[in-house]
Order: sequence, then C-alpha cells, then structure tokens
Amino acid sequence: MANIAAQRIKREFKEVIKSEEVAKCAIKLELVDNNYTELRGEIAGPPETAYEGGNFVLEIKVPETYPFNPPKVRFITKIWHPNISSVTGAICLDILKDQWAAAMTLRTVLLSLQALLSAAEPDDPQDAVVARQYKDNLEMFKLTAKHWTNAYAGGPSINTECDDKIKRLVDMGIEEHQARVALSSYNWDLERATEQLFS
Amino acid sequence: MASSSSEVKESTSRGDGGDRPNTKEDDRKEDNLLECNICLDTAKDAVVSLCGHLFCWPCLHQWLETRPNRQVCPVCKAAISRDKVVPLYGRGSTQQQDPREKVPPRPAGQRTEPESGNGFSGFGFGDGGFHMSFGIGAFPFGFFTSTFNFGEPRPNVPAQGTPQYMEEQFLSKVFLWLALIFIAWLLLA
Repeated sequence: MANIAAQRIKREFKEVIKSEEVAKCAIKLELVDNNYTELRGEIAGPPETAYEGGNFVLEIKVPETYPFNPPKVRFITKIWHPNISSVTGAICLDILKDQWAAAMTLRTVLLSLQALLSAAEPDDPQDAVVARQYKDNLEMFKLTAKHWTNAYAGGPSINTECDDKIKRLVDMGIEEHQARVALSSYNWDLERATEQLFS
Repeated sequence: MASSSSEVKESTSRGDGGDRPNTKEDDRKEDNLLECNICLDTAKDAVVSLCGHLFCWPCLHQWLETRPNRQVCPVCKAAISRDKVVPLYGRGSTQQQDPREKVPPRPAGQRTEPESGNGFSGFGFGDGGFHMSFGIGAFPFGFFTSTFNFGEPRPNVPAQGTPQYMEEQFLSKVFLWLALIFIAWLLLA
C-alpha cells in the first residue's frame, strides 16, 4: 500500500511542478526525503488580506494509507489565524480531516489552505484566543495578523508601534516571541501583557 | 503506455511531415482522460460511478472500505456504493486476466432486456400474460393465484418465438379454458 502512496506523490509532485500556480509563485512544493513521505509546501499570502506579501512554509507528512487518508499538514511559519494554532501550527480544516476525498491532491490542499487564509472560520476555531479577537475586534485582529506576517513570513507591512512595545518587553528580559504572543493576546495592551508575563 | 504513445508520435512526425505538431500534447490529454482518479495511473479493472468519474476497481473498493459509513465519490462527493458503479469492458479486456486474480471481484454489469412488443391479444384480456383472480374464493384457483403470484413482481414477457414464450402461451390457454369451465359450472349448478 505504501507503494500506491509513493507512486501517487511522485505523480502529484510532477503535476505541481508544472502547474500554473507554481509559475505564478502562489504555491511551492519540495521533497524533504527521497521516499516521498515528507514534503515541504509553501504558499503565498493571498492578496488583499493581512497575509499579503508573506510566504508560509508548511510541513506535509504523507501517511502510508495515502490517498485514502489525508496528508498531515501543519504550518511551520508562525501565523495569527483563527483556524491555525499560533503555538503549534496545527490546522483546523475539514478536508484535512473527515471531508478528505481520495481524488484531492497536494496541489488542491495547498490551494485550500491559501483559501483558508482569505476566509477564516472563527466559529470553528483552532486557536480560541485568535478567534475571540477576530470576532470581538476585527481591526485589532488584522493589525496583529499583519504584524505576524511581517515578523515571521517576510511580509512588507511594518508596524512601528507594535515593534516598540515588543522591544520594551524584550528590554525587560522577555524573549521576543513570548512578548509578541502576550501582546497579541491582550490586544497590544502593554500593561496587561506585562502583568500576565510577570504573574 | 508511454512507449506506445511515443511510437505513435514518431510515426506521425515521419509520415505526415509535421501535420500535427500537437501530437504529444494530444496524447497526454487522452491518457489523462483514462486515468483513475485515485491512483492517477491508467485505470485497471475500470469502473465508472453514476456521477461519471472513472476509477480502478481496487482503488475505489479500498476507498469505500476506508469509510464504510460515508461512501461518497472521491471527486464530487456524490453518493456512491458498490452497487452503483458500472464496470467498463474494453474490447478483449475480459480475456486478458483471470478474473479470480482480481480481488475484490469487480461488480458485474447490469443488463436489462429491451422492451419487446407482445403479440398476445387474442382473448381480450389486455396485456400478454394471463392474469386473472377470482373473488369467489373457490379453492383450487385461489390456491393457485396465491401460491404462484404471492409477493413477487410479474416476470418480464419473454421474447416472441422463444420456447418459453410458446410454453407460456400454452399455459395461458389451459388456465383460460379451466376458468371458463369453472364459470360455466358455477352458472349451471
């Protein structure tokens, strides 16, 4: 059975390399090992979203039962999104779980993830903190997501206010990522973030 | 597969002097048309779903086994099941392989006889087969009808001219005469 999986990934890999999305740099796929069991995907942040201009790297693990079961995918690049864990990069997407169908391919998975970035589902969250911010304060969510895109995915939008607040916490001896998480979780309220970090 | 298509390409490019510059592209498109939607290889023991999607039977079988509670088409997610796929038989495909090697066996094709016009209208009972029930509750006929017709749909009328057809015609006539005699007896008694 492992044979079907490897055989199919081989074909899919060729297909993706030739696809127009790769030509447009929207998605990318690389082999990590030679057995076609682990791959590295990359998707561009969709235009007109907080993720625009960022490149998001994904870890793709192909199970032996592929394509009868979905590949295991998670974000390696840190991202602020209601359906993606800001801690582990785990993804909540139906087609990677019970809605998987054997005719789906790595290409369609990458494109679905790109679509997920433009259309979040806050009612079916993976990261409760992010989802709450998305529902309560959409502007704050967009600002935070843009900042994370800049910090981790090479996005262009620099928010000096956020950077300053992080720098103040770093000066107090807090690790940068930890400071960013605390500030993001408390809507960039420096006082409350500090309180939480030192409590 | 690949070797045969490249042969075709070579012969056409030599013979026609580049009439069809897209032959290779065409070949690839044609191959794709016959690819299984699960293994992406040319479909073996091909079956097609009612929604029109092509699979290898072993691939589709495994998909149906993986999710017995949610059997949907891997392409369009329409309802699908073992009984609702149609096998495709290419010319000579049945001789190529011992079917016993094919585990699990591919579901058989369903064959429906074409509607045949019937010639039986002689006694004014409407359609071809004799179909009559007696409401009087006389023992022998009530017994016959309930025993022979109980809970079963009526079988198709066999084609005209076959031995079976002749036999049924004969039986119809026998029963008709029996019925007439019975009615006559009832009237006279």
